[in-house]
Amino acid sequence: MVTPQPPALDVSASALRESIERHARYSLAQPWESLSVRQIFECVSLALRDLMVDRRLATERRYRQADAKQLYYVSIEYLLGRMLVNNLSNLGLYDLCRETLRQMGASLEVVEECEPDAALGNGGLGRLAACFLDSLATLDMPSYGYGINYEYGLFRQDIDDGYQKEKPDNWLAFGTPWEIERPDEACLVPLYGRIEDGVDRSGQYNPMWLDWQLLIGVPHDVPVVGYGGRTVNLLRLFSARSSREFDMQIFNAGDYLRAVEQKIASETISKVLYPSDAVLPGQELRLVQEYFLVACTLRDIVGRYQRDHGTFDAFPTKVAIHLNDTHPALAVAELMRILVDERDLPWDRAWDMTQSTMGYTNHTLLPEALEKWPVSLLERVVPRHLQIIYEINRRFLEHVASVWPGDNDRLQRMSLIEAGAPEQVRMAHLSIVGSHSINGVSVLHSRLVQTTLARDFHDLWPERFSNKTNGVTPRRWLMQANQPLARLITKTIGGDWIDDLDRLRALEPYASDGAFRQEFLAVKRSNKERLARVIAETTSVTVDPDSLFDVQVKRIHEYKRQLLNVMQIVLEYLHLVEDGIQPTVPRTYVFAGKAAPGYWAAKQIIKVICNVGAIVNNDPRVKGQLKVVFIPDFRVSLAEKIIPGADLSEQISTAGSEASGTGNMKLAMNGALTIGTLDGANIEILEAVGAENIFIFGLTAEQIQAWRDAGSYRPRDLAQGDPRLRRIFDAFTSDRFCPKEPGLFRWISESIFDRGDAYFHVADLPAYIDAQHRVAKAFEQPATWASKAILNVARIGRFSSDRTIGEYARDVWGIASMREPAARR
Amino acid sequence: MEIVFDKVGAVAVAAVPVEELDASNAGEFKRDVAPLLEANTKLVLDLSRLRFVDSSGLGAFISCLRKLNAKGGELKLCGMSKQVRAVFELVRMHRVFDICATSEEAVGAFEPKAS
Repeated sequence: MVTPQPPALDVSASALRESIERHARYSLAQPWESLSVRQIFECVSLALRDLMVDRRLATERRYRQADAKQLYYVSIEYLLGRMLVNNLSNLGLYDLCRETLRQMGASLEVVEECEPDAALGNGGLGRLAACFLDSLATLDMPSYGYGINYEYGLFRQDIDDGYQKEKPDNWLAFGTPWEIERPDEACLVPLYGRIEDGVDRSGQYNPMWLDWQLLIGVPHDVPVVGYGGRTVNLLRLFSARSSREFDMQIFNAGDYLRAVEQKIASETISKVLYPSDAVLPGQELRLVQEYFLVACTLRDIVGRYQRDHGTFDAFPTKVAIHLNDTHPALAVAELMRILVDERDLPWDRAWDMTQSTMGYTNHTLLPEALEKWPVSLLERVVPRHLQIIYEINRRFLEHVASVWPGDNDRLQRMSLIEAGAPEQVRMAHLSIVGSHSINGVSVLHSRLVQTTLARDFHDLWPERFSNKTNGVTPRRWLMQANQPLARLITKTIGGDWIDDLDRLRALEPYASDGAFRQEFLAVKRSNKERLARVIAETTSVTVDPDSLFDVQVKRIHEYKRQLLNVMQIVLEYLHLVEDGIQPTVPRTYVFAGKAAPGYWAAKQIIKVICNVGAIVNNDPRVKGQLKVVFIPDFRVSLAEKIIPGADLSEQISTAGSEASGTGNMKLAMNGALTIGTLDGANIEILEAVGAENIFIFGLTAEQIQAWRDAGSYRPRDLAQGDPRLRRIFDAFTSDRFCPKEPGLFRWISESIFDRGDAYFHVADLPAYIDAQHRVAKAFEQPATWASKAILNVARIGRFSSDRTIGEYARDVWGIASMREPAARR
Repeated sequence: MEIVFDKVGAVAVAAVPVEELDASNAGEFKRDVAPLLEANTKLVLDLSRLRFVDSSGLGAFISCLRKLNAKGGELKLCGMSKQVRAVFELVRMHRVFDICATSEEAVGAFEPKAS
């Protein structure tokens, strides 16, 4: 058996083969023998989709018969990655399909490599949404995901002489077999225009929205199969279409090209994912995207509810809507608009329903990532929604004033509208005020949300705040990505861990079992060999699988401190070539990650890594003791190859800046030891795996905050007092790593010394260097290292997204598993 | 466009003669319905043929309503498809117009029968 699998569906090899051949003939109109690999992928996927559609219809029937409460998860991003292997594995058909294809003269391993990643997300937030969908389906929870069907996903990253070059990712160039288009369920979305005050037939105030333009949202359904194949939920992605094929007035006037341009402008809205995980102030198209998602989603939700219910009385008991960060915050205003304007509900009743229905997850404390939109822009794009936001704010501030009479500062701090030029709407405040539940994504982050970002709101409604530590799906990140380890685990403790990750605890006794440790190390070695091949293919650098694979893979950002890692590498290199001090163990430093195209410092960090790599890798004095590689185009399918091959997981963000992190969980789940700060979920990983099985260093969030508050951080003085640090910065300013471009890396010293080292590199660097020494010492002892790694795997159970989803379902959404009784364990 | 109408007592019942009322023909509609608005104070517009209306089309209906109201008249709409009704609701127009299911109901609504 290639991978642990659930009991296979009642599908025979002959039936599968017949279905694949039928799709070759009738979907692609080609004889099997003439198909390209991509076309074979399409036939196999379509055959699989047929099976999923049958199960989808059965799932839908089950939910409707029970009139089950549904969760609607709204996210502007879903970083899905490839879907073929995931679907095959969750359906229990991987081995059958592999064998069937072999008999048909094709290789599943080759076919799966031709699937483009669905990269409809930037990083952690989008991947979290994808992991949640997997867990929701696995736990048989009635739910839909809602998102945008971007034609272009996150850009492809090329590295040219160390510089990032962005290339368009036209992932739908050949269409995708996974989506089912639903033009018959298209919805209307008005935008732009103006509000005219008027009265209705009974003389009541009636604002009329006039001169709007109309967009059409066309749903595309992606089936999401849970582990075991019992439940198939849907991810519904909307594409924007022009309301008419052409604007007929322009067309009739003879200006055909202008008519076509207008049609294209409408469809631009779902054309491309914004390539940044921070907000882009003033980007009108981004605001339109957010509104488009919300308008389509709410129309769909309300329509589905009304199909089965006569009145809105039961709405909050049948519908839970979750806002994945503030991007869908306009959902609060849109639901109010529908209930008040279209369904004639009184404001107070509509507001109760809205609040009871919405939940909101905060994902960041970084000031630059907190969404605010100019009032003037909202007034132009969604004039009616701005009116509603003003009314929400008026009533909310009345309430605040009644609780804290005379506290005008507090009113200003809590207002949904930020005074200033320009006046702006605070989307986090709108999300908080409109939701009955607000949560952060790790214990530390949730505490910081409550004590800093939303302190006033926590004072007002402490009962609404909670923590839901993120998780990752063990199906994709262990069962599929690391099949050799999954096999070893299942052989040792059985396969129940796949949908009950706490069962990995049963591995603990094997940490001291010499034979098991040997097998574990052999698995790691095979994964490192695979990773070494990927490195050779993508960077042309040969690396030694016996060296310590030290991995930092994530978005490139100053707060994630790839630069701290590079500084330590530079010191190790200088020790080696100038002092003759050999590293305790040979190391391969592996980096990967994309920088937002407009983020100069992040792109420079990539250049630093590449240049340091070029010098280190080609210096004969190094004799292969150190290697530094930057693997281009980090994406889900590449992560699936890197993570199983990692020995060491770098999670070294400035404490208090990473909300949770999920790469830290994926790496520990695959037996990498963490070197990390007390930030995000690292703290909980420390508690879970034990202090002796992780390498923690650096300042705490509280210490950093205290330094910031006191204004007493002097990085220049600190560096002057430490010869190791001086040496590192001298190396950067001396052009040693940029001989062809003198002065290129002087920005590092300027950023650290002249601009105050906002991310505390200098403060943490000595402790980081020491922690790396401890890592090297531990790696010298393979048996001890293996024990630590095994204990990381055994104790990672709480970081399954199944646990996270269970908590949300119980505490926030009020939804229940709809597993058929016969299928319960 | 030719707007055909019937008189039922004092009420004029006119059918909107197009499937789509939008920027391309809303002006023409306003022009051609104007004589009806001048000659009548009670008007029913039957939208049974209409499948799509945009903001220009809605603007034309508002213009009809205002002209009639200005001289003490009334406008009722009937025969709305689900799609057209959805657009009216989207922008709160359903509260401004008196909307009836059929032309008979609309005509009856002008002169309610004594119980």
